[in-house]
Amino acid sequence: MNYWSVIKLKLKDQITLASQLLLLVLGSYVFILAEDHKLWKIPVIFLGLITGFLFRNKTKHPIIWMVFLLLLIIDLFYAYFWVANHHFMLVFMVLSVILFSYHKQGDILLKNIQLLLVIVLLVSVVQKITSNQFMSGDFYYHAINLGGLFKFLFPIFPESLEIAKMNSESLMSLKELNPNLTEHIVLKDVFPNLSFVSRVFAWFTVLFEFLAAVALLWKPKKIGTHIIFIILLFGILLTRLETGFISLLAISGLYLCKTIKLRLLYVFIILGCITLIMTKFGYH
Amino acid sequence: MIKAKQELILKYGVPSLAIIVVAIQLYLVHFQSLNRWKGGGFGMYTEIHYIYNQIHISGVSVDSLIKDDPNMKSTLGYLMLMPNDENIRKAAELVLKTTNKDSVYLQIWKPTVNSENGIYKRILANEIHLKKSEL
Repeated sequence: MNYWSVIKLKLKDQITLASQLLLLVLGSYVFILAEDHKLWKIPVIFLGLITGFLFRNKTKHPIIWMVFLLLLIIDLFYAYFWVANHHFMLVFMVLSVILFSYHKQGDILLKNIQLLLVIVLLVSVVQKITSNQFMSGDFYYHAINLGGLFKFLFPIFPESLEIAKMNSESLMSLKELNPNLTEHIVLKDVFPNLSFVSRVFAWFTVLFEFLAAVALLWKPKKIGTHIIFIILLFGILLTRLETGFISLLAISGLYLCKTIKLRLLYVFIILGCITLIMTKFGYH
Repeated sequence: MIKAKQELILKYGVPSLAIIVVAIQLYLVHFQSLNRWKGGGFGMYTEIHYIYNQIHISGVSVDSLIKDDPNMKSTLGYLMLMPNDENIRKAAELVLKTTNKDSVYLQIWKPTVNSENGIYKRILANEIHLKKSEL
């Protein structure tokens, strides 16, 4: 059996594979957050470990998933307004997998994942359209001029990095002043024509996200849909290393994808994101 | 075998839960000044992050207030995230109790940027003038 046959065999059952990868992302995410609210998490983890080790093969209940869900809910209870948005997505995905372990209907699980993905993308579009700051390009303009986005470009253009640093310093100086004095600063453009580029990029982001959402809703298993979705994932990664969020989106894509080669691409994206999360190079 | 009604619940139950969370977040964004970055509504990168909001308390240093005071840090943190009337009052009450002043004038400012000319300035998002006698 050659390597490609081994890989193909592994990629054949995408529900099992995607669930394993989700468990891996979940494990690393929960591990990073384990320090918060430890008074409640210690007994949950301890009882979960005991139950998992002693009764794993004696019970039909998905104990590991339930323990992780409980840990996620503890964070939600104490920090509903502080957890990342993909924390909520993680909760919904884990709930779907737990339900799947009882009903065992693949099509129901896939419908859950498809709808969750479409909701995330469509809501993101709605949030953008209803934000004047976004649609005018002002948000991107601000974030790029302070060096918050497209960080990979700055080492290539050191002058731009210097301007971004100067902008940040000006902003810090302004913060020291009483805001009632109505002082302002003028941000310098880190790249030429940034105002125009920001506006175009804002509209392009909205259109592309909407296209991906409609494609996933209409034809969730088509190759074209997944190519659009994967381009979107790389686009987000290049804009900012939101590896935690991207890994969940890619896992959702893997659940829905029928093509072996695209499944492999999803696996590469997910494992790459997990590596960056674990090494804290990316965001969890 | 799963019955049709059960199947319907299983297919749409979890996504419906997601829609409820989103609806709550959108309500809070539009009516309670919640910053779009938080609250489960997937509005990250759609407006300037709340960390750029600025609390100004007349005659009091915010940095010294939050130093070694987790309760103050949390209360002012909520104000940065959601500068509505309830949160600004809570913050003002806590500042009054902590500083033992007779009154407090607390403001929260939000940044705006104009990409046409690069001007970055702060606009008043909310303010309160609270006297100890009103507590």
